[in-house]
Amino acid sequence: MNEPCVLLVDAEELVRTPLAQYLRECGYRVLEAINAKEAQALLSEGSQTIDIALADIQTLGGSGFAFAAWVRRNKPGVRVLSAGTIAAAARQAGDLCDEEPPIQKPYDHQLVFDRIRRLLAERERNRN
Amino acid sequence: MVPAPNAQKSPACVLVVEDEILVRVLIADELRVEGFSVVEAATADEALSYFQAGVQVDLVISDIEIPGALNGLDLIRRLRAEAPSLLTVLTSGNPPGVHEAHAFLRKPYEVRRAVVLVAALLQKETG
Repeated sequence: MNEPCVLLVDAEELVRTPLAQYLRECGYRVLEAINAKEAQALLSEGSQTIDIALADIQTLGGSGFAFAAWVRRNKPGVRVLSAGTIAAAARQAGDLCDEEPPIQKPYDHQLVFDRIRRLLAERERNRN
Repeated sequence: MVPAPNAQKSPACVLVVEDEILVRVLIADELRVEGFSVVEAATADEALSYFQAGVQVDLVISDIEIPGALNGLDLIRRLRAEAPSLLTVLTSGNPPGVHEAHAFLRKPYEVRRAVVLVAALLQKETG
């Protein structure tokens, strides 16, 4: 497997899953982690070559910046991208799809953002 | 090579519920390689949240010992009450006794074995 690998760290599954699917369709290999602890376990374990860590700093809470610092200190070869909102995360994913992947960009990142919003709204409706 | 998902339809969606990240990544990766669409969840709450968003899921493979208010047995019961046709597989290091899942995999299991089981269940269901 030679595709560049993105480690996507996001606590909200309805954000993480569509973003991960989008990046996979762009040709990236994507690993998913729900928090900094899982992400550090994947990075430390070493069997997975990880090129980019895309982390939602907001949902990681106070550990978000600590996670970014940890990656820079312990895995300096890994590029860290952080996002504070869903829209920012979708933009970051869109930028990644524009720059490096082996497959052409399948659709605009705005569609991913819209899909995430629809999923979140549907969940709210079903919960009420 | 396990039976591939039907090329004419969108790939079957498998929800993997496993709190151990290294196990989850392995099984999710292998299922994707076989052509399945895979959603990952670390807890029953995450899995339920995904269901509540109305996304189609064809099979759930869940560890029994997962963090949170619901364990894997409770999760399967709850999901099957909402979606009776949902296929289900439970995993654990300990035998579960009576359970409502279609299959049980004792940990540690070979990832390939799990993928073959998932593919066989889905194949049987779709004919």
